[in-house]
Order: sequence, then structure tokens, then C-alpha cells
Amino acid sequence: MNPATILENHRPPLWPHTLLAPLLAGAAVLLALAAPPVVGFALALFAGAVCIGSALTLARRVRSGERQLRELDKRLLQSQKLAAIGELSSGIAHEINNPLAIITQEIDLARELFGPSGCPDPADLAEVRDSLDQIGKQVERCRLITHKLLNFARKMEPVLQEEALEHVIEDMAILAEREAKGRGVAIVRAYDQTLPTVRTDVPLLRQVILNLLTNALAATPQGGTITLATRRSDDQIIIEVRDTGCGIPPENMAKIFNPFFTTKEPGKGTGLGLSLSHGIVTRLGGTLTAQSTPGHGATFTVALPL
Amino acid sequence: MGLRVLAVDDEADFIETLVKRFTYRRIPVTAAANGPEALARLDREDFDVVILDMRMPGMDGLTVLQEIKKRHPLVEVIILTGHASVEAGMQGMSLGAYDYVLKPVDFGELLEKANKAYERKKLNESRDHS
Amino acid sequence: MADSIRVLIVDDEERFRDTLAKLLSRHGFTVRTAGGGNEALALLTEAPCDVIVLDVKMPGLSGQQALPLLRAACPEAEVLILTGHASVDIASAMIAGGAADYLLKPCPTDELEGAIRAVYDRRQATRPR
Repeated sequence: MNPATILENHRPPLWPHTLLAPLLAGAAVLLALAAPPVVGFALALFAGAVCIGSALTLARRVRSGERQLRELDKRLLQSQKLAAIGELSSGIAHEINNPLAIITQEIDLARELFGPSGCPDPADLAEVRDSLDQIGKQVERCRLITHKLLNFARKMEPVLQEEALEHVIEDMAILAEREAKGRGVAIVRAYDQTLPTVRTDVPLLRQVILNLLTNALAATPQGGTITLATRRSDDQIIIEVRDTGCGIPPENMAKIFNPFFTTKEPGKGTGLGLSLSHGIVTRLGGTLTAQSTPGHGATFTVALPL
Repeated sequence: MGLRVLAVDDEADFIETLVKRFTYRRIPVTAAANGPEALARLDREDFDVVILDMRMPGMDGLTVLQEIKKRHPLVEVIILTGHASVEAGMQGMSLGAYDYVLKPVDFGELLEKANKAYERKKLNESRDHS
Repeated sequence: MADSIRVLIVDDEERFRDTLAKLLSRHGFTVRTAGGGNEALALLTEAPCDVIVLDVKMPGLSGQQALPLLRAACPEAEVLILTGHASVDIASAMIAGGAADYLLKPCPTDELEGAIRAVYDRRQATRPR
């Protein structure tokens, strides 16, 4: 049903309560001033009754309006969920269809090279072998996608450990740093040394940090900087990965955490990294958010409860 | 019973030093020179933490990690590698490694990591039994 | 071959376009390939073609964005959409935008070849030389 129609159906007009009632009450009060006391008292009572009646009607209308709005919200959430599922399946279809398309073609080519005699020309043997290799490669690509999806679906309970945050993230920073150096990108650490220990799933959080650092590396051109910062904000621990890369265009902002959303070349990224990270941080009871001014880099923020 | 370590690396000198240092701290440690040997050891004996090199001839480290996690999901694996590649690090961590550490690493630090990995295994086991 | 159909394959999957080119060439087509919309436009300024096989989801210039530009660059070419994306909406929008037909990946080569020939024949019938 069109949301607008729910609100518009069976709506009596508002004017009896907003216009007529105050007018009647006002007139009654004015008359009561001029009238003898008994009549004035009756008129004042009448004015009061009109006001209370209108107020009650208006309150009821407001409440039913709110109820309808809540109902609408629920439907909207449901339709958003359905849209997300739709987007997910279309993403899976696309990611699997592309390697399947290559496999289909390689099989067609190999069959053709085998010819009607069933025996390929010796000159074509290398090509047949190359086709088989390629089929293997594409199957591997599909396998990687399905395995990551299974990881996605697997709900492993986090194992919570007390650990200094720096111990969790520093190894990932070192790893990213070696690669960053080769590309002329600097990694700057801005750790808050006074942070208390966190209680979290250490390897899962490492996975998130490494993923954010990898994305930052891919986005940052030579001479750029990636900042890895930690700080405390009220009852949360904040980890920030800032880069000076190309940033995220506003139209992509809403999609970056969607499974299969990627701006990389085909076969280069599965588009699952950020959505997996988002899932992990949520499971750890925190939030993963992004801010970006296009052209001025992006900041990904992990907020974990203390 | 305390931490039991399995160290897997094809570099004999490196592994020898590692074994000595763990033994000096009275931590039982076993060495394996390659992936298949490590997997065979794990099938026969109980270990808590595997320290695994990535680049070995024959079966590579990622495959070994995958096999370990498949057959002994509770055993924690610390990857120790001389070769930095964020891509390989991502793969290692998403396959379930406890940490991905670049060589050279200070022994004290490695010991601390091994103890933390051991703590995680114990936490995991106590949850499984409850 | 006197009347070889000139095909331009536009797809960001390198292996896909290369093998498709190989197969189509073996079957008598004259084939060129482009990894994206801009490269395709550059190729069309060099020489026209009869049928453009166009992918939808590509980094940079998407198939949808490239379609009007390609049609402007080579009005005599028919465009065949070949997509792995299951979005029928985009495909039908592209048909409305002047594409001749669309096929869904993965698509057997003979089916694709049939579609190329059908699109080409239709063009020859409606626009006799």
C-alpha cells in the first residue's frame, strides 16, 4: 500500500477543533461577561466543555497519527531489509557470473580445439592447457567468494580477552608500514598512551584494523599519509584510520559497507572486506563508521565499549 | 599443564635458537621443519600454540594454517614471517591466525604473544565445555 | 571473407574479452577489444564497427554511461548488452536508450554468436545500403 494513503484514509477535517471550538468558546466567554451570573456560569461551563472536548479529540488524533507513523516505520524497515537482500543476491550473482562466463568460454574454446575428431591439433595443445589453467583459476575465484560468504554467515562467538589496545593493533601497523614504505606512503601513529586495556576478541579486531589499513593503502597515493590513532571518548575506545587518499564520493558513502561493493578491478577485491569488518565490530558490541570529504581522504572510526 | 609450543620453520638455525630460548624458560617446545611434519605432530600430540613461518618449500604457510584450523580449530597459530605483504596478512588473519608478526621479533614479545594466544585457547576451551 | 561482421567487445574482464575475441575470430568475425568505455570510444574514432558487445558494470565509465557516447561515436553500430549483473531494470533502460538486445552472463558462445548475427541481420534489413 502506498504509505501516503494510510495517512489520508478516513480523516475527518480538523477545522471543527482548531477553528470552530475556540470560536464558540471565545464567544461564550464574551457573552458570559455581559450575561447575569447564572447564565454566565453556564456559558463558562459550556466554553470549558468545548475546549476539553476539542483537546481530547486532538490528542486522540495525534496518538493515532503516531501509531500509524510507527507502523509505517516498521514497513519501511522491512522494505529496506528486503532491498538489502535484493542487493546482496544481485551482488553474489554478479560476482559469480563473471568467472562463470569466463569458464563457459574457455570450455567452448577447448571443445572447439578438440575438434570433431576428439584430438586437438598438436599446435593447439598449449592453448587447451591454458584454457584448463584458466578454468582452474576462475573456480578458485568462485571458491574464495563462497568461502568468504560462509565466513560471513558463520556466527562464531567472540572470545573476549583483556589486552592493551596497542598490542592488538601495532603488529598490523608494522605489517602495513613495510608495504607502505615501498609505495612512498607514511604511517603515522597517534596512540593515546593512557588508555585502559580493552576486553575484546583480539584476532577479530586485528582483522578489522588490517582491513582498514589495506583499504587506506589502496586509496593513498605516493607521498600520502595514513594515520592510525587511538583515544578515549566517554565510555568508548576509539580507533581511527585516516588517509589522505581520494576520499569517498557521497553517492558511494551509503554503499561502502554493503557486501560486494567495491571500486577495485574485477577479481582484485571481493568487496566483502568492509562489510565483514562492519559485522565483526558489531559483534564486538561497537560501531564502525566512515567520514569523507572527497579529495581530502577518508576516516574510518571503530568505537568499542570499555 | 602450561603452554606447549610447536615451532614450524625450515630455517634450521632460527628454529634451533627458538627451541633453546623456550626450553630455557621451561616451556615445552617441539620443532617441525615443514608443513606436513607439523600436521603429523599435531595429529599425534597436543599443542596449544603453533609458531608458523609462511615461506617454506613444499606446502606453504597459508595452506598449513588452513589445515591446522580445519583439524584443530582450538589450536592458536602465530604467524612469523620475514616477508611483508598486507595481502598475505589479510589472508592469514581471516583464516584464523591469532597474530601475524614480522621477523625479526624480540623473543620477550613473542613469548608474551604466545602466552596471550594460550590464554585465548583456554578461554575458548572452558566455554566449549560449559 | 568479404562480409565479415566487425565486432567490438567492451568488458573489463581481460580474460573474458580475450577468449571471446579468439572464439569469434575463429568463427569469421573481425574482432577488436576494449577494457572500458573510454578505450572503446577511442577505437571507434579509428574505425567503425557493426556490433558492439557491451558489459554494464565496469570501473570508470559504466556501460550505461558509455551507451549514448558509443552510439554517437558510431551511429551505424548495434549495441548488444552482455551483463553479469542481474539488474533487468538497467538492461531495459539501456534497451530504451537504443541498445538492440541484452544477454545474461554466463552465456554459451553459440548463443552469443547467434545474437550478434541476429542483431546484425536486423540492422542490414532495416538500413539497406
